[in-house]
Amino acid sequence: MKKIIEIKNLYKLYRLGDTFVRALDGVSLEVYEGEFCAIVGTSGSGKSTMLNMLAGLEKPTKGEIIIDGQHIESMSEDQLVQLRREKVGFIFQSFQLIGSMNAIENVALPLSFRGIPRAKRLQMADKMLDLVKLHKQKEHFPNQMSGGQQQRVGVARALVVNPKIIFADEPTGNLDSHTSEEVMQLMQNIVRNQKKTLIMVTHDNHLAEYADRVFHIIDGKIVKIEDNKRKREERGEKE
Amino acid sequence: MRWSDLLRMSSSNLKRRKLRTFLTVLGVVIGTASIVVMISLGLGMQQSMYEQIEESGGVNSITVTGRFAGQEYYKDGSQDDTEMQYITDDTVEMLRSLEHVKSAWPVVSAEAILKKGNYISYIQLQGITEEAMQNLSMELEPWGRYPEANATELELLFGNMIITNFYEEKSGKGYYESGELPDINLQQDKVFLILDQQAYFSSQQNSMGDSMGGTSQDGNSGQSQRIAKKHSVKVCGVGAGGLDAYDMYSYSVYCNQEKLIEMLKKEFRGRVIPGQPSSKSGKPYEKFVYTSVDVQADDINEVESLCTTIREMGYDVTSNIEWLNSMKEQFAMIQAVLGGIGAVSLFVAAIGIANTMMMSIYERTKEIGVIKVLGCGLKNIKQMFLLEAAFIGFFGGLIGNILSLLISFGLNMVVSGSGMVGSGERISYIPVWLILASMAFAVFVGMAAGYFPALRAMRLSPLAAIRNE
Repeated sequence: MKKIIEIKNLYKLYRLGDTFVRALDGVSLEVYEGEFCAIVGTSGSGKSTMLNMLAGLEKPTKGEIIIDGQHIESMSEDQLVQLRREKVGFIFQSFQLIGSMNAIENVALPLSFRGIPRAKRLQMADKMLDLVKLHKQKEHFPNQMSGGQQQRVGVARALVVNPKIIFADEPTGNLDSHTSEEVMQLMQNIVRNQKKTLIMVTHDNHLAEYADRVFHIIDGKIVKIEDNKRKREERGEKE
Repeated sequence: MRWSDLLRMSSSNLKRRKLRTFLTVLGVVIGTASIVVMISLGLGMQQSMYEQIEESGGVNSITVTGRFAGQEYYKDGSQDDTEMQYITDDTVEMLRSLEHVKSAWPVVSAEAILKKGNYISYIQLQGITEEAMQNLSMELEPWGRYPEANATELELLFGNMIITNFYEEKSGKGYYESGELPDINLQQDKVFLILDQQAYFSSQQNSMGDSMGGTSQDGNSGQSQRIAKKHSVKVCGVGAGGLDAYDMYSYSVYCNQEKLIEMLKKEFRGRVIPGQPSSKSGKPYEKFVYTSVDVQADDINEVESLCTTIREMGYDVTSNIEWLNSMKEQFAMIQAVLGGIGAVSLFVAAIGIANTMMMSIYERTKEIGVIKVLGCGLKNIKQMFLLEAAFIGFFGGLIGNILSLLISFGLNMVVSGSGMVGSGERISYIPVWLILASMAFAVFVGMAAGYFPALRAMRLSPLAAIRNE
């Protein structure tokens, strides 16, 4: 299988007064194409920092990050934006839909950054909303939708650009447990069906079960890698 | 990102905050309107000044006079003959041959006395060529006509105010003292023209007082017996407009040049014609010398260089253009000051724009972060905010200009109604270039004010979007 993300010996140091805090302390990992990975840790463990660095939102202090064959640690901000535009989808904890746009326009937004004409954009967004089973709420504005519906719009928005990798930062953090399950199942299905790579950050071990592989991170170090896929296979579960 | 998408996003952001946008635009409206109205006042002044210049002969005309042509200069004796520059036919020919000269007409002016009954008037008679006569743009009373070249006797063309120059010879009272116009019917009555003033005065003296007669002190006793000849002349036309209208012709008396020269030569045969140069021995100059030449340039931009050229040839030159140029400088100053006063309010509006943009960026920090994470280019973010600021400037400029046009219209209405300035004149004048320039300036100010906020938006960290409150 092809490696799509590779991290080598990654360090991130924050300065707090006179002392340095190691948010990431020499992390190395590999993610393969089509994998659903979860990064699990308590708050302050460095999991969000890692995700930010993978998405090119933060610069590492030391180490290498290779995304789809490209080193991103030395990229300029313009190049990083371009990388995200072309290869990455993002799902946020608090959905982050644009309040002045309805569901379909929100989904179409990332396409506008690629210069796709409006009519085509809306058509693609429409299809995506069907995929996340929001048939009736296409014209609704974010404040007219429930949290679960909003996050489904968020998922559609991440998928519409047909990205290679999707990053999800606590995607169910603002949802109740029942809705969380729904959204997680949706994400799992889509990733499997469309062969996307999904990296999800969560503090919830239960939700991490949906992932193929789980990286447990404590104090900036990966302490355990669980392979749920193999476990499932051993248990003989059907996917 | 496509321009249409950028425009849509910017305008929808403005629409989202209608009241704040309205207030910011209002600031620009006031700023633009104050600049435009202020400058329009300056331009209105300038325009009425141009009209005045047009009335006094336009800016293309140059009056060339000889240097030291007058007798008093000559009698100094300190100058050599070589420095004299008389205007003769040769000079006129030479002026005509210069580049950018449309026409050059010599003018002979002679002092003369007009008499009619009890009334007398001292005038400056302007002898102009037939061609120049054709080009006079003087409007006449309906009965009048221009002097004819082949008339048997000299015909005079009066400006509309000349009649006020006549006064009663005995009492010395004229129109301005008595308030009554002299009882002369210019249309029918002939007037007497006296060219030889010296002879006239000495004959007056002789007849008035015998006590002085024997000892005439003016040193021309030899001429005292000469009687001033009274030519009976006809007034062929009077300028229209009565005593109310003033124009460049109002105090002028014109006549045919050839006729006048002929008369002068006849009158002063063997003597020096007044105003003509003479040699040290008192002999007249061999050629007839014109008083001045009226030169018309074919291009307003060449007037100045033409003036310099003629001046270098040794003649004195006066033209409106030099006056106009100094006026222009003054008006540029006035407009700069007025515009500057207006600019202060636009500057305040610019601060308003910057403030609004900063506020909107603070409000939208998360949103900006999100679109950055979703892959919106840095340049596009900057463009989006610059466009927003430009929109504010544009609409402010547009509405401001509409407002200024209304204000200008109102001002002109009020002023023309109260008759503060002459009819048809405008106190405020907004040319098209001012509208366009002020619009462009408003947009520019908007963008300049929005530039740093836009940079700030561009540099905002996308992490702000992911951070959870």
